[in-house]
Amino acid sequence: MLPHLLVPLAALLSLRLGPGTHGSELPKPPEAWFEAEFFHHILCWLPISNQSKSTYYEVQLAWYGRSPWESLPNCGQALELCCDVTMYTLHLYRSNGYRAKVRTVDGSRYSNWTFANTRLSVDDVTLKVDSVKLEMHEGFIFGMIQLPRPQVAPPGDTYESIFTNFRQYEIAIRKVPGSFKSSRMVDHENFTFPIPGEVGKFCVKVKPSISSRTNKGIWSEEQCITLTKQYFTVTNLSIFFTLILLLCGPLAYCLVLHLYVRRRGTLPAVLVFEKPSPSILISKPPYPEMQDAIQPLHEETFLKVSPELRHSDLHGSMNIGFSSAKPSLQMEEPQFLLPAPHTQACGALGKGEPPDLQVSCSDGGSSGSGSSGSCSSSTDSGICLQEPGLNPGSGPLWEQKVGSTSQGQDDSGISLVQNSEGQPGRTQNSSPLGHISLLGPEAPAEEDPATAAFQGYLKQTRCTEEKTTIAACLEEETPLTDGLWPQFRTCLDPEAGWPPPGLAKGYLKQDPPEITLAPSGVPPGQCNQMTEEWPLLGLTICGDLGPSDWSFTHDLAPQDGVAAPGGLLGSFDSDLVTQPQISSLYSSE
Amino acid sequence: MKAQCASLWLLGTTLVLCSVHTPALRRCPLFVDMHHLEESFQEIKRAVQTKDTLQIITTLSTVEILRSIKPTDVCCVTKNLLEFYMDRVFKDHQELKPQILRKISSIANSFLYMQKTLRQCVHRRCHYSEEATHATRTVHDNYDLLEIPSAAIKSLGELDVFLAWIDRNRREADPV
Repeated sequence: MLPHLLVPLAALLSLRLGPGTHGSELPKPPEAWFEAEFFHHILCWLPISNQSKSTYYEVQLAWYGRSPWESLPNCGQALELCCDVTMYTLHLYRSNGYRAKVRTVDGSRYSNWTFANTRLSVDDVTLKVDSVKLEMHEGFIFGMIQLPRPQVAPPGDTYESIFTNFRQYEIAIRKVPGSFKSSRMVDHENFTFPIPGEVGKFCVKVKPSISSRTNKGIWSEEQCITLTKQYFTVTNLSIFFTLILLLCGPLAYCLVLHLYVRRRGTLPAVLVFEKPSPSILISKPPYPEMQDAIQPLHEETFLKVSPELRHSDLHGSMNIGFSSAKPSLQMEEPQFLLPAPHTQACGALGKGEPPDLQVSCSDGGSSGSGSSGSCSSSTDSGICLQEPGLNPGSGPLWEQKVGSTSQGQDDSGISLVQNSEGQPGRTQNSSPLGHISLLGPEAPAEEDPATAAFQGYLKQTRCTEEKTTIAACLEEETPLTDGLWPQFRTCLDPEAGWPPPGLAKGYLKQDPPEITLAPSGVPPGQCNQMTEEWPLLGLTICGDLGPSDWSFTHDLAPQDGVAAPGGLLGSFDSDLVTQPQISSLYSSE
Repeated sequence: MKAQCASLWLLGTTLVLCSVHTPALRRCPLFVDMHHLEESFQEIKRAVQTKDTLQIITTLSTVEILRSIKPTDVCCVTKNLLEFYMDRVFKDHQELKPQILRKISSIANSFLYMQKTLRQCVHRRCHYSEEATHATRTVHDNYDLLEIPSAAIKSLGELDVFLAWIDRNRREADPV
């Protein structure tokens, strides 16, 4: 009987110990599921509640619709709750997926299988990029998305080949320490993010997606980049060099033009002034052999001097901006040059000059010899003699500027006072002044004319000087009779001030009426001394200077500034004479 | 009269295009929102596939069953499988959860629209090839081997396979 029971008992025992047979109820894992990323597939499950140290889990995997279940030996070791099944699911992206199941094993006991919730398919793969590379260029952040490149992937199975179309990426950017506030979608792995004019640290993260699929995506790790002020950018450098070219171009052009003009251009001859030697006034004449020679004057030169001019008063006027209320006297003849050195005008004159000339010279004490031209002529040299009819008795001393014309407009030079009350006596009184013609004692009475007379320049005349010189010479038996160059001497006290010599154009500026001349009583010896001091010019005014109340109390001019006739005056450095006088003129103005 | 003429003219033009451009007909251009279909399925996938206890048996995922379909048979096979789901799977499945039922209904409506689109280009009796005939017959045979509730739930669980195959054929026909 017992042998007959052995067979059913053995069958019963085999059924209980077979696969899936549990010695006791062993709980199965509550749940199992797949978690997958691109070629990183994980099967996870929940543990049982009362597991022991000998409990482990068995995992099996099947290619859906292709193969039977296959056990995975490396899964379920110890108390692991997840198992990497990537190597067993490499065909996931080319098939309909995989199914998996898990059961609990504890010794000889096994639980029931727990199937994964879903079939592992392509739709279950969570998309994620590998990384993002950031670069900055001129206010833009250039991003390059790095797609995953798993090494276990079969050849040809790349992210781009599996997900060929409709790849999209969500880009989020934040500025440290701020948070991500917004994002935008891009359709390519390369993107740009404008950051105009901002500096600081910026972080970017990317989440991929496929528009035609339902795959989920996850954000990548943040990739940060620090933006700094870029001064030396291509744009800035190009703008800088462009500005340099724009600035340097005109400058270079102007420089070249200036150099070119300087080389080519030359000053007109009339503008070329020979710088006079400071010692020219006191130095010897240009002709060394004539240094001490007394040049006689030509008679004919004196014939041109109208008597009226000798008697007319001389009053100056500014060259510019001033217009004499009274016509200025001008010389008719354009030129009045001193004769050659061999001529001895003084002596000749003293020995018998033409009467008219003598008269003119003698009478024109304060008046100058010159042309008898009217004041209507041009006085671009500043010298204008009074018309004979206007002031017959006071011919002003004047000098004719070389090259000046007697015809023309009245310039701002010396203009003689139209002394309607010109008196011979007055003239006489003023005659010793020689080249200096001043208003007589009546000048103070005639306030306005006198003031006007003393505004400007004092015209010097050679004739007057000569006359004075002649007078002085006649009295003193000076070497003038030897036919020397007529020397215009003044017996003024040098310390009292030499009347300012005329301008280079022949003007001698007069001082205001308060300026008085030195006493007329200048000893002859002083005349000689002064002559010696100024041999070239020899301007000495000796003799009675006129009214006793006339006196120069201040230095009218530098001592070396002496009025000289005609051509000599042309060598005057007018600046030496006029500069202080101009200042006084301005002050008087 | 004008509306009738216009509709007749449009139908005639469609038929002419379908008859002239045979390759295009065989490609079966389906103007349907596949993305919506896939999203709807993903929402019911876990609920449906969890209930599938017959893990190894399949109805549509037999070895190369759909991959062996030629491009000329795609249109007819698509039409046949649409009828399979509309006439057997959706009707045999008994869903109790309203959320899952709503999603299944949405998918069914989309399948119905696809059927109407295909009828304009496909003759009533398709000239199946051997491969196409074998594929459609295997699907029906596998469905018949299982119990109706299990078969229906399994076929619903394999909608992603059918939708992926349709989407691949559509992109091959119109690679945009």
